[in-house]
Amino acid sequence: MEKPEKLIVDGKRLDGRAPDELRPLKIQAGVLKRADGSAYVELGKNKVLAAVYGPREMHPRHHQQPDTAVLRCRYNMAPFSVEERKRPGPDRRSVEISKVAREALEPVVFLELYPRSAIDIFIEILQADAGTRTTGITAASVALADAGVPMRDLVSAVAVGKVDDTIVLDLTKEEDQWGTTDMPIALMPRKKLITLLQMDGHFTHEEFKRALALAFNGCEQIYEAQKRALREKYSVKPEEE
Amino acid sequence: MDEEIKTGDFVVPGDFLATAEEFMPGEGAYEEDSKIYSSRTGVVLVDARTKRISVFPRTPVPPELKRGDTVIGRVEEVRDQSANVHIGVLRGREDRQLPLPDLGVIHVSQVRGGYVKDLGREFKPGDIVRARVVNARRGQIQLSTVGDNLGVIVATCSRCRARLEKDDARLRCSNCGNVEFRKVASDYRQGVL
Repeated sequence: MEKPEKLIVDGKRLDGRAPDELRPLKIQAGVLKRADGSAYVELGKNKVLAAVYGPREMHPRHHQQPDTAVLRCRYNMAPFSVEERKRPGPDRRSVEISKVAREALEPVVFLELYPRSAIDIFIEILQADAGTRTTGITAASVALADAGVPMRDLVSAVAVGKVDDTIVLDLTKEEDQWGTTDMPIALMPRKKLITLLQMDGHFTHEEFKRALALAFNGCEQIYEAQKRALREKYSVKPEEE
Repeated sequence: MDEEIKTGDFVVPGDFLATAEEFMPGEGAYEEDSKIYSSRTGVVLVDARTKRISVFPRTPVPPELKRGDTVIGRVEEVRDQSANVHIGVLRGREDRQLPLPDLGVIHVSQVRGGYVKDLGREFKPGDIVRARVVNARRGQIQLSTVGDNLGVIVATCSRCRARLEKDDARLRCSNCGNVEFRKVASDYRQGVL
């Protein structure tokens, strides 16, 4: 695809969204039968599966922590998730994302309740269209709740960025590629604590503040969708809600 | 957040339940900054008498060993006073692995109703046992096999490692004819956990 002349025309983006609009979001809890907890999330063209196993016995044993559980996270992109086939297996990028996703989720889990155990999270990207790490964290958080792992809060994540000098929410692949800035953010919605913030590109101080406010807004919408997904699956009488 | 939470309300992790002045956090709830929040997905239970607010889970939760639970494990080591057991599953929760610690101990006094002179005659390493949890708090989990339905459910011959068959009160190896003793459960080798 060629770089379009303009990424924002008459205040509308390439896919017709307003700058502060999220892509269509679909969250489903408990989709995998054999996992202890799982979730499936679609955000626009992103399709992400997350699975949680544990708390369970930690192998190798020398990685056990005598006072807490250890959270392990694997972010993996399917070879068919992008337009040009991706070589399977971990690479520099997915190792980094695994690490930041783990650190984004660690503060919400009551790890100290399960000494010497491990909690495993697997984030599989089935289809990618920018913002897979945030979508993955959103999915993993629902999967953790689905597994019944004690948590302080959920984690909602979204990306903000700058495209054609406009601050926009939830970038698509085109906007990520030709835009100037991309900033993924994960937060614990109740206390508004940021658990992940990365930035590729530049923001002025003023722009950063506006982008952050926009991200908080986006996370709020995602949080509501996460709650709705759990409610749909587990509420006693869904028709009365 | 200002609305009062009542019994039967559906909550997700992080949802506000009550202030710490009003209630004590029970199961599935935690206290932070003098407020009580939910730590799991489920239905609120308000106990006005004990002033306890808890969340009954609607999701499957990690299994947790409690006193009185029945577990299935493998004997790892037999000593003079106790036998160490690696706990595999909690009966009724075979769907999910147990979080650690998974080491249980059967004391000589907890093997059978009567007096046990030699623990090595009751258990041998490798035996699969069904046991009841006597004490699950602090460190090692204490187990008991007192009772007809508790004890060894599968054992192998200590000489040739073939499965032992039940022969009245003893166990006989069908391969080499070796006769051994165990504290067997009433349904030894019936294939039930």
